[in-house]
Amino acid sequence: MSKDEILNGLSEGVVLGKPDQAKSYAQRAIDEKVSPLDAINDGLVKGMSVVGDRYAAREVYLPQVLMSANTMYAGLDMLLPMIPTEDLADKKKVVIGVVEGDVHDIGKNIVKTMMTAGGLEVKDLGKDVPITTFIDTAESIKTNVVAMSTLMTPTMDGMKDVIDGLVESGYRSKAKVVIGGPPTSPDFAEEIGADHRDANAQDSVAWLKEALF
Amino acid sequence: MAEGGLVLNHLERGMAALGNEEVDRLPAYPIACGINRKLLNGGNGVTYAEWCRDPKLFAESFIAGHKYFDFDFAIGLMDLSVLAGDLGANVRMDDENTPFVDKHIIHSPEDYEKLEVPDIKKGRTNVLVEGTKIFSEKLAGEVITAGFLEGPLLALTQTAGAERVFMDMFTDPSVVHKGMETMVEFDRQMVEAFGETGCNGLVWDYLWANYSCLGDSEYHEFEGQSKYAGMLNKLTTDSGMAFCVHNCSDLPHMDTQVTEFKPVIFSMAYYPLIPGSPTAGEVIDQGYADNCLLAGNIDPQMFIRATPEKISKVTEDLCQEVKTSLCKRGLNSRYCISSGCEVPPDIATKMENIKAVVDVTKENGKVDC
Repeated sequence: MSKDEILNGLSEGVVLGKPDQAKSYAQRAIDEKVSPLDAINDGLVKGMSVVGDRYAAREVYLPQVLMSANTMYAGLDMLLPMIPTEDLADKKKVVIGVVEGDVHDIGKNIVKTMMTAGGLEVKDLGKDVPITTFIDTAESIKTNVVAMSTLMTPTMDGMKDVIDGLVESGYRSKAKVVIGGPPTSPDFAEEIGADHRDANAQDSVAWLKEALF
Repeated sequence: MAEGGLVLNHLERGMAALGNEEVDRLPAYPIACGINRKLLNGGNGVTYAEWCRDPKLFAESFIAGHKYFDFDFAIGLMDLSVLAGDLGANVRMDDENTPFVDKHIIHSPEDYEKLEVPDIKKGRTNVLVEGTKIFSEKLAGEVITAGFLEGPLLALTQTAGAERVFMDMFTDPSVVHKGMETMVEFDRQMVEAFGETGCNGLVWDYLWANYSCLGDSEYHEFEGQSKYAGMLNKLTTDSGMAFCVHNCSDLPHMDTQVTEFKPVIFSMAYYPLIPGSPTAGEVIDQGYADNCLLAGNIDPQMFIRATPEKISKVTEDLCQEVKTSLCKRGLNSRYCISSGCEVPPDIATKMENIKAVVDVTKENGKVDC
């Protein structure tokens, strides 16, 4: 099987939301000694970008996006360990999570997927994440970005608490802070000292790439 | 207040607006529900946990809210974890905030089949029904009253987790339909119970008819079709209640939920940052108010974060936008100045901001084409 066929198989698996196909072609990539970075970027990520564009154009919806994301991660789980450590040294890092007191994480998961597809190394802290966990993780992995989400009004102030904690720890100047979720707004981002708030995952990742690279 | 001429009471105004008749001013109803609990106990308030577990407190808060704010409607929204909680999902209940499900009960495809409709005479579903009955009886003849109920797909996603349900729609749709059958039966029993309360209408929360989440075909298959929402909508009317819909999503399926479902009231939000999220003027211009009272769309965040002056200006602008579009469309009324979603029941919500919306509508809501 040619390299192009393997890459197309990976990409198509993601577009169609077929984890078994992605795993099968990921194994072929490993067996055929295709560069894992090529398999990720020109296969899995390429497929996810197609899905992201289709979602933005309202041609596909959340069920398909979630399955495609699931498929991409199935392939990544196999291919990421194959990448030599030195090749990952320059990757920009993101710490992402839903703030404490909130468990709604679909939006966060979509953003995480698009960040991963955008070439960022994402550390997902999950949902209902304590303030100190954001701060401690940001410092320990030397992240370039702290990304926070919430769906609920009462937990919005947790975002400010994280930013205040980053200021206090001295790490705020070393990381971009982006926020998201329906109750947030650019005005709120400015009010709490975040760098950015965007309306959707695609635009947010585009802004980050502009800001980081 | 309108100068001279027509003066209507709350009930007359609401009914006139529903029928597109001339009104003295547009009706006003910021969706203030749980926040009304702050008016109880001599103004000292009760906790959210107390409020949502006691039908008398639940009802008294709507009665107190009506008296204090001078609302034109009373709609008994509690929160969106009522049905899931009674089905067995764990609900995190803080004293002063909206509770939410933090542990779902569907962990495998087989779990959908294990769902059972709980006894609606117990739990928070009973509080919802009994509380609605009390305030509907007390406010009868004063305002239009309505119960509020989570639609079956919303109840299922609250119980199972939205991400799980959405992925199962893709990989194993039959199990989602199994779950829907139970939720529809749960809702069916609730409709019959609400039908005995004397409330004038029933508001359905059909949140997932949202182009950010589901397309037309997915929504139709998993909620909109005749054996699910279609049956429940008809049952609502057959049970003597006006059929109403609330959908606070960013990109609602207007053609399905307004044109096809034909509710008498459609309550909606507006997200200025989301391309395509429809404004009040746009939905009127597009004809959605021709046969339906639309309600919206002040940002709920403003009730916490805005000054009274700021929210007054927003309300004034909304009144003007709505009046301009109503006149352009040849309509007399058919819009209620409201919040796009529930006024946050957060302790930090400013009561004066709720009052400002009502007062500004009184001053600026006269439709004079």
